Amino acid sequence: MMDLTQKQWVKYAVTHPFEGFEDMRWKKSGSVKIAMCIIVLLFFGQIACGRLYGAQFFISNDKTFNIIPYIVRSFVLFGAWVIGNWAVCTLLDGEGTLKNICIYSAYALIPYVVQLYINVGLSHILIRDEYIFMQLAEIIGTGWTVLLMFSAVKSVHQYSLGKTVFAVVLTIAAMLIMLFLLVLFMSLIQQVYIFISTIYTELSYRARV
Amino acid sequence: MKSKLKRCITATAAFAALASLGAVSAAAGEPYDSYNYDRWGEAVPSQAGFTAECSVSGYDLGVGAFDSPSDIFCDHEHIFYIADTGNNRIVAVNSDFESVVKVYDSFTMPDGSETPMNKPMGVYVSAENDLMYIADSDNARVLISDKDGNVQGMITKPDSEVYDRKRTFLPQRVIADKAGNVYVVLSNITTGAAMFAPDGSFMGFYGANRVEPTAKIVSNYIRSIFMSDEKKANRKRTVPTGITSFDIDGDFIFTCTSSSTQTTDTVKKLNAAGKNIFADLELSFGDYKPVYDTSQNKVLSPAIVDIDVAEDGCINCLDLTTGRVFQYDEDCNLLFITGAAAKQTGGFDHAAAIESLDNDLYVLDSSKDTVTIFRETSFGKAVHKAAALYNAGYYEEALEPWQDVLKRDGNYYRAYVGIASALLRKGDYKGAMKYAKLSDAGDIYNKAFEGYRREFLREHFTAIAAGLVILIAGSVTYGKFRKKRRASTAADNISEKEEKQA
Repeated sequence: MMDLTQKQWVKYAVTHPFEGFEDMRWKKSGSVKIAMCIIVLLFFGQIACGRLYGAQFFISNDKTFNIIPYIVRSFVLFGAWVIGNWAVCTLLDGEGTLKNICIYSAYALIPYVVQLYINVGLSHILIRDEYIFMQLAEIIGTGWTVLLMFSAVKSVHQYSLGKTVFAVVLTIAAMLIMLFLLVLFMSLIQQVYIFISTIYTELSYRARV
Repeated sequence: MKSKLKRCITATAAFAALASLGAVSAAAGEPYDSYNYDRWGEAVPSQAGFTAECSVSGYDLGVGAFDSPSDIFCDHEHIFYIADTGNNRIVAVNSDFESVVKVYDSFTMPDGSETPMNKPMGVYVSAENDLMYIADSDNARVLISDKDGNVQGMITKPDSEVYDRKRTFLPQRVIADKAGNVYVVLSNITTGAAMFAPDGSFMGFYGANRVEPTAKIVSNYIRSIFMSDEKKANRKRTVPTGITSFDIDGDFIFTCTSSSTQTTDTVKKLNAAGKNIFADLELSFGDYKPVYDTSQNKVLSPAIVDIDVAEDGCINCLDLTTGRVFQYDEDCNLLFITGAAAKQTGGFDHAAAIESLDNDLYVLDSSKDTVTIFRETSFGKAVHKAAALYNAGYYEEALEPWQDVLKRDGNYYRAYVGIASALLRKGDYKGAMKYAKLSDAGDIYNKAFEGYRREFLREHFTAIAAGLVILIAGSVTYGKFRKKRRASTAADNISEKEEKQA
């Protein structure tokens, strides 16, 4: 029963929102490599959404391109979700390991990533009056991802329905706290850096005389 | 390593110096670099639409220096009237600013006595009845006189319940409409311009500004809901800033307000009922971002002190803080930015008033006591021609002028929009898409793309249909083939297992 290759597991998990992740867990399947591929695709999909959209829907400012927001919206956000979920669910008797949470969450993101690429393609075929089709794709992709994510959290930790909701809310709160601390830490590092560089400049001026 | 870096820096500095020298020589002597705004609201270098030809003082005209003149007006016979405030006179100059037509020092009253002026601030000449209207500020009256200096009428502080008697009556600017109604901008009055009937009777106020809904005003309003009437009566009142200047163009009156704090209603286009036509359009006048002045360490917010509507409908706004003239077409698209705060010709100390004749600009400076004449450049001519055709709806006819504009200045954003619209009208969808994308005009691109897609589908319909049929047929047969193979492998597996068991 269920002798699927890793690629077939991806298809199975995405197309079976309710039991897909349970079966995956039962078979101890899932690959970190594929999960990383999905996150890289998410990153490029978001860049494509920002840069390659059809000009009738959205014109990007070619003068400025900053890659940092795209990195934050893909890698950093996903990392915060995985670590936040792991931190919260370890306290809430969750059974998932960090690796499993990472794999399952990445698999759950597939509909959203696919939707990004489909919309970039559609934006070059449709006109403004037909925007509803793109909205439809977006709503279906996002909704499906939310459903899968919920199911992933539920099965990776073997939670009941209510506890999953609780865990998701706590995870989001944990993500916010982590990002806040990250920003705080970065600004502090910046201050320290400025302090040290000022001292260095001062010393270098003195040393020369 | 260090010497290499140093050499690199010196090379860059030398290049920058060369580049700036080149820019100065390109600007043909003006003490500023001309610029315009692109689609993203960023200032980009641009060709100059106007060039400062000369500045004319009272000495040049032979009537003695002006003393803080405050208004200039050009009448229908192309005679310029300058309100020479400090000298208490009105100077009429011919259209090439070479000779003085007449100097009005005093006017003859109907009873034969002479009446001098005291700080005249504004002057207007009506094309309908050929009468001069003078805002005789410190005498607290508006004089209506014929061109020979005989007073035909006078407007003084109105004796009306609407007009608070405690307030002063200091006319700053005056205009009259076709019907002979007189509009007067008064200092210290924030409820709009005072409107008078042709016979001089007070009719009420016209075109008041709105109060800008800042956070403080909103919170004050919420607090006032819970207050008693006595407390409310004793509170500080919130009043809008008053009108600074205005101009009339046919049936519409354009007003401007030079407040450094207020950003709503700085420029208005009022119809006969006093309704602002610009109110619901999201327009901004003056510089997009306030200019930061390093020498004074403060942000210079725009203060539009005078407005002028040219015969072709262009709106000229004069900004006091930066000394710049912002010219807009009748649809309020920015055409040119001219002038600067500088001592040289083309720059201003205290720009006071602006007037236009044909396509030239005349700017009055009340501190330098001169009139600076800006002539339209050939680039300015090209843009004016293209914009006029475009605004009148002649998109295809405007194609060539816009292309001419683009040849001279590749940064001119409006030219791309104009060319995209023209090509779209002509049915050249691909070209329209290209220019619409360059001008970031999504709506034009959308229409052009719709046409392009329709043409593409019509041309390649058979190929697309054939491709679709082949694709569907291929996928169906592949699916069947796969199913068959899977079934056969499964059968093989079962037979193998059976063999093993056996």
